[in-house]
Amino acid sequence: MKNILVSGGKLFIICAVAAVTLGGINAITEPAIKARKIQELNQALKALTPDAETSATEAVPDNPAIKAFYSVLKGGKTAGYILRIIGNGYSGEMKILARYERDGTIKSVKLMDNLETPGLGKKAEDPRYMEKFLRTGNRSRPVPVRKDMLQSAEADAITGATITFLGIARALAEGAQFVIEGEKKYAP
Amino acid sequence: MLHEFTKGLLKENPIFIIMLGLCPALAVSTQVVNALGMGAGVIFVLLGSNIFVSLLKDFIPEKIRIPSYIVIIASFVTIVDLVMQAYAPSLSRNLGVFVQLIVVNCIILGRAEAFANKRSLAESILDALGMGIGFTLGLLLISLIREVLGAGTITLFAVGSFDGVIRIPWLSSFPARVIGLATGALMVMGYLKALFNWLETKKEQSRQRDAVRSGL
Repeated sequence: MKNILVSGGKLFIICAVAAVTLGGINAITEPAIKARKIQELNQALKALTPDAETSATEAVPDNPAIKAFYSVLKGGKTAGYILRIIGNGYSGEMKILARYERDGTIKSVKLMDNLETPGLGKKAEDPRYMEKFLRTGNRSRPVPVRKDMLQSAEADAITGATITFLGIARALAEGAQFVIEGEKKYAP
Repeated sequence: MLHEFTKGLLKENPIFIIMLGLCPALAVSTQVVNALGMGAGVIFVLLGSNIFVSLLKDFIPEKIRIPSYIVIIASFVTIVDLVMQAYAPSLSRNLGVFVQLIVVNCIILGRAEAFANKRSLAESILDALGMGIGFTLGLLLISLIREVLGAGTITLFAVGSFDGVIRIPWLSSFPARVIGLATGALMVMGYLKALFNWLETKKEQSRQRDAVRSGL
């Protein structure tokens, strides 16, 4: 009996010390991590709109994929939208930032936070990866959401990371749909 | 005492001889840069956990040693992860996933259980460094073979105008992609293990010959 209590007590002490230490370190690092996330988002937004301004963020409350959007302003007029989309990757959520024209055409895409496998899915962080989606999303050219909609060289490049490709493609297609429907709804 | 350091490099190499930590080794050996990142993370966490396990060896009762080690290792991994995210964002972007993977790397628990909980602090530090570097060398070897054959490239950290990728002419146009996938990982590991076994047997045979000769 005494043995169990001593063992349990010691384990409790180890856990308590670990928890307090981690709590302290989290308190120190959390503001720095948050600031970095905001900075990264702003940098990405700027990279997506070298030729225009962006409006303030507008949250999209009841959409499972699209979290928020910004309007892209050129000379005071809306020239397109940037969407913050969540895609389902191979290991969890992928945060995607995509710029669309008003007709749903994808202009540029950037993969943000993700947990994809390095060397396979992580390759999607490379700007060249997103080239296959550019200029798609409008009525005449849908977003490629299946491997057979790609050219063979592009399809080869995603071998081994099909789930990542599907996650990004579906998220981008959803985004295009959102832009087209939104334009229809609010069109004068 | 120095033996505790050198044994991990080759004679008791964690990947090829003890065969520990194979899951992360095979999973991240697709590119050389990943091997370096994973290696650095493992060396750091292994050092931390060996130090604490060695210091606490008289405090931790026999019965609850495994949960205690797990708590120590997991805390260390979390600390490394948080600190890197906050103050070394570019490093964290490259290594983020590996750092969390280190919790389940059995080399760390293996060294705590087999070595650090019986030995002095200094020996445990040397053991952690040797085993960590041995693990990194093993990973480097596997990833070098896999990336060169499977993609025709060698990926290192990007510095300045150099994007970090060395492309090997001809091979990068016609890579054997299977080597880069999971199948290739197991194949490369199998061949390397066979090579190490062959070297081991050869050494053993020459030792026996020497023994016979000196007996005469």
